[in-house]
Amino acid sequence: MELDRLSIGVFNVRGTFVAVLNVCPHELAPVCLGPVRGTTLASLPGEYCWGREGEILACPWHGWEFDLLTGKALVDPRKHLRRYQVRVREDTVYITIPQGQ
Amino acid sequence: MSTKWAVIDTDIHPRPDPAHVGRFLAEPWRTRYLSGNRGPGYLGYWNPIGVRRSDAVLPDGSHIADSAESLARHFLDVYDIEYGLLNVDDLAIGLSPEGDYAAAVVSAINDVIVHEWLPVDPRLRASLIVSPVDPLLAAREIRRLGHHPGVVQILMPSGARMPYGQRFYHPIYEAAAEYNLPVAIHPGSEGVGIAYPPTPAGYPSTYFEFHTGLVASYIGHLISLVTEGVFVKFPTLKWVIVEGGVSWLPPLLWRFDKNFKALRQTTPWLTRPPSEYVREHVLLTTQPMEEPDNPEHLRQILAMFDAGHMLMFSSDFPHWDGDTPDFAARSLPPALRPRVMSETARELYSLPSSSAADRALDHETSHG
Ligand code: FES
Repeated sequence: MELDRLSIGVFNVRGTFVAVLNVCPHELAPVCLGPVRGTTLASLPGEYCWGREGEILACPWHGWEFDLLTGKALVDPRKHLRRYQVRVREDTVYITIPQGQ
Repeated sequence: MSTKWAVIDTDIHPRPDPAHVGRFLAEPWRTRYLSGNRGPGYLGYWNPIGVRRSDAVLPDGSHIADSAESLARHFLDVYDIEYGLLNVDDLAIGLSPEGDYAAAVVSAINDVIVHEWLPVDPRLRASLIVSPVDPLLAAREIRRLGHHPGVVQILMPSGARMPYGQRFYHPIYEAAAEYNLPVAIHPGSEGVGIAYPPTPAGYPSTYFEFHTGLVASYIGHLISLVTEGVFVKFPTLKWVIVEGGVSWLPPLLWRFDKNFKALRQTTPWLTRPPSEYVREHVLLTTQPMEEPDNPEHLRQILAMFDAGHMLMFSSDFPHWDGDTPDFAARSLPPALRPRVMSETARELYSLPSSSAADRALDHETSHG
């Protein structure tokens, strides 16, 4: 979604709508163009356990994985997406963009 | 995007169309190449992000790096890049055990770049790729196209059958020096074809392990080039280490110089500490820029070698681990930015400043 000069990605994570700025906190890539997928959950060496399908956004540049439900990068919670408040009324999704952005 | 310094990008990866490469191949190679048998392949490590950036795709489905026109418009224009150096990334063919086929394929790829890519935009320059599996054929390729004004460098895979300082390879360096062209190596083909395993410890299990350890082959080649006397034998030769990052270099040079004091008698042609040969002959490209938690630590590393004369910006576009010019510049101390972002590359590759190029062009038009 493009709004003036703001590009915002809106995701439907199994019924929960999430809106994030389309800018990666790493090198400022258009992060919303990356795939939404699951990922391998923490496990013992040699075990692979796939989960969280549809909750993870991976940046198309260097592959940082973000938890769409919290906005935080999986490997470093200090790095996070900019999220916007979302409300759904009837069939319309409203996004609140703070003034000055 | 305008900045106080010019940007010269020393590592961009074009993808020449295989059908066009086929046109420049003679039989018996053409049929084989067009059938899809194009060399020794890769080890098949999986990068979940994909090696080429998935967002660098145009609405018609083509990739930005698939043609010179779109590369110029959607990359050089966007980042205001004064010159971009095309480094074909299909280097694994140079590790094929079939030297004649490898030499034919790299020649055809070079022909596509020289005839179909370079003429499209005056900002483009190219590395000539060679197959080091047969150094005499590689030297012949350098003598075939080394005079082309758009060719500014020779490029080889950093995966290799033996360390690059060894005499076996010297015909390549002799030809490169003859044409005043630096020789560069680029990673990605470690362990492929007849190359040694990706690390001296053996084969890694994941792309993550493989990619992190790539610097091992650079260290091996660099030590070999100096100790074997390549820079003594070819005193004008420059060597470019592409895409190896930088943080490993200073401690290696300390170790190298320390050993020289005790062991120089085994390499009597070295009359100065190894670090001095490296400073005079070797350059590195920036990407992938290391990102320590404390950015000051990277700046300290950059102060430990002559980064103002040895380091050149590279984006690695359109690969997944690339750096944008603004990101790279921000990682550097301000005083280094003009040198690293463009001036060192301008000197190495003899690239006229744009204003000089414009004047030459005006002159040509007014007399043409
Ligand atoms: S810009 Fe998103 S991971 Fe680097």
